[in-house]
Amino acid sequence: MFVGQLLNGLVNGAMYSLVALGFTLIIGVLDKLNFTHPEIFMFGGFVGIISIEFLPLPWALLVSFLVGGVLGVITEWIAFRRFKRSDSKITAALSSMALGLVFTDCVQKYWGTEPVSLPNLPSWMGKNIELSGVQFPYLHFFILIVTFVLMFLLQAFIHQTRMGRQIRAVAESPTNAALLGIDVTRVSQAVFFISSGLAAEAGLLLSLRSASANSEIGLTFGLKALAIMAIGGLGDMRGAMLGGLLIGVLESSLYLFGLGRWVEITVWVVVILTMIIKPSGLFSARIKLQESRA
Amino acid sequence: MIADHLFFAGINTLLAWSVYVVLLSGSLSFAQGAFMALGCYCAGVLTVKLGWPLLPATLVAGVFSAVIAFLVGYPTVKLKGIYFILVTLGVTVCVRVLLENFKFIGGVGGFGGMHGADVYAVAATLGGVGGLLYLFSLGSWQRICDAVREDELVAASMGINVVMVKLLTIATGAFIAGLAGSLYGHYMNFVRPENFDVLLSIYVVLYVVLGGVNNMWGSLLGAFVMTLLPEYFRILAEWRPTVFGLSILLILLLRPQGILQFRTLTVKKRGALGS
Repeated sequence: MFVGQLLNGLVNGAMYSLVALGFTLIIGVLDKLNFTHPEIFMFGGFVGIISIEFLPLPWALLVSFLVGGVLGVITEWIAFRRFKRSDSKITAALSSMALGLVFTDCVQKYWGTEPVSLPNLPSWMGKNIELSGVQFPYLHFFILIVTFVLMFLLQAFIHQTRMGRQIRAVAESPTNAALLGIDVTRVSQAVFFISSGLAAEAGLLLSLRSASANSEIGLTFGLKALAIMAIGGLGDMRGAMLGGLLIGVLESSLYLFGLGRWVEITVWVVVILTMIIKPSGLFSARIKLQESRA
Repeated sequence: MIADHLFFAGINTLLAWSVYVVLLSGSLSFAQGAFMALGCYCAGVLTVKLGWPLLPATLVAGVFSAVIAFLVGYPTVKLKGIYFILVTLGVTVCVRVLLENFKFIGGVGGFGGMHGADVYAVAATLGGVGGLLYLFSLGSWQRICDAVREDELVAASMGINVVMVKLLTIATGAFIAGLAGSLYGHYMNFVRPENFDVLLSIYVVLYVVLGGVNNMWGSLLGAFVMTLLPEYFRILAEWRPTVFGLSILLILLLRPQGILQFRTLTVKKRGALGS
């Protein structure tokens, strides 16, 4: 029972982490809050529906990442390009919020507000594996593995590649980076591409798990990820990863103690407490500071 | 029908003003839906369970919301920008879940039995609140708020109690939202916690942004236009979030200085009057 709930929590937490990572990348590098992010996460599930119908599952993963990424670049172009200055943070947040509204509405016009069920999945996913007397679906392991591979790839990308180095330079100081010949616009496009791709991927995984895509999770699940990002520390990648897993496990242990009604509230109470006690979050280092320590 | 539409336009205007009042001291609050819910349930309990008349119940509900806002606001008032937005979003979700879990006021099922508010009550409230806000904008208090909003350090160095000013605007905003909530509940006769979703708070903030945050008339305009137009143009009603989102985007993009900059005609005129 306990192990089962723990794994459940980890799977949930892994998806929180993926969405929160996207938020934190944009905040850490560009210092902007992207409210279209939860909606792209939501859309990932619908991309999954379409792509699973025509393609085998691994390709669906790739397609949803790419589609999400392209949407992220479009978001950057519409809602963020004009608001680069540091005193237009709130304006950028509001414009992305407006774009998110448009986005959700279009999805709901096409698919309706009810959850749409997924076409049949490969049969191995539904099978269970028995561990210490508890049945685990293979699907859970699949989700965990995909998440951890993505996180690993992201770390490697940020720390090993040329573009990653440029991203870290922009996080340090956009002006200095521009002076050194880095194309800041390109870098922000790349950041938006990656973060939105991760969100869409998480949306796909969530829809695999619940066997349906829901157009209303943007404002519930997605905002929760935003809160988790704040708990972990704005702009800190480790914070987003650990915070997501932590909250996932915390929520499932609440179910274990029969406090299921309070699950929705937990993360927000933790956020408010974090903001009051230590506004910088669990890990206060931004991407830039992480660099100087390493 | 027309009374219905005017009623909701009035409620939305009150909510938009409550956001505007908080914004006077420079904070963007996404918690006005929560304070509306608190006002609604408080007034409902007073009239249905205790048999109070509507007017005192509404006022007490406003004060109740304001007190809660004051208490919640005290530890969070130092937070800025994104951090404040996060906390207010959190308050909205928390209040909704709390309401859903109180059996006394109906829980998820909802709370009913309130009645008595009509479009005239809203018009009167709108007139009262609007008049007070207008008087406020003429006096020196407005300039205190302007100073706090533009630069807290300078304001503090001129002897303004920044924390208190911010707390008072938060509490006043919650008071107005509480009034709106009470009227809303007594008009609808039946409310559920999900009526006060995060989306409501987001919409209200966007009304204010759409109309312009420079003065109180912007909020009035934004709320009225966005509530009434969809009722009369079918296409607008069907595509409401899209139209709404696109118009906000357009406004923000066409005024790249940022809609959140305050210096405007009214400020200049007031300066001329003062000199």
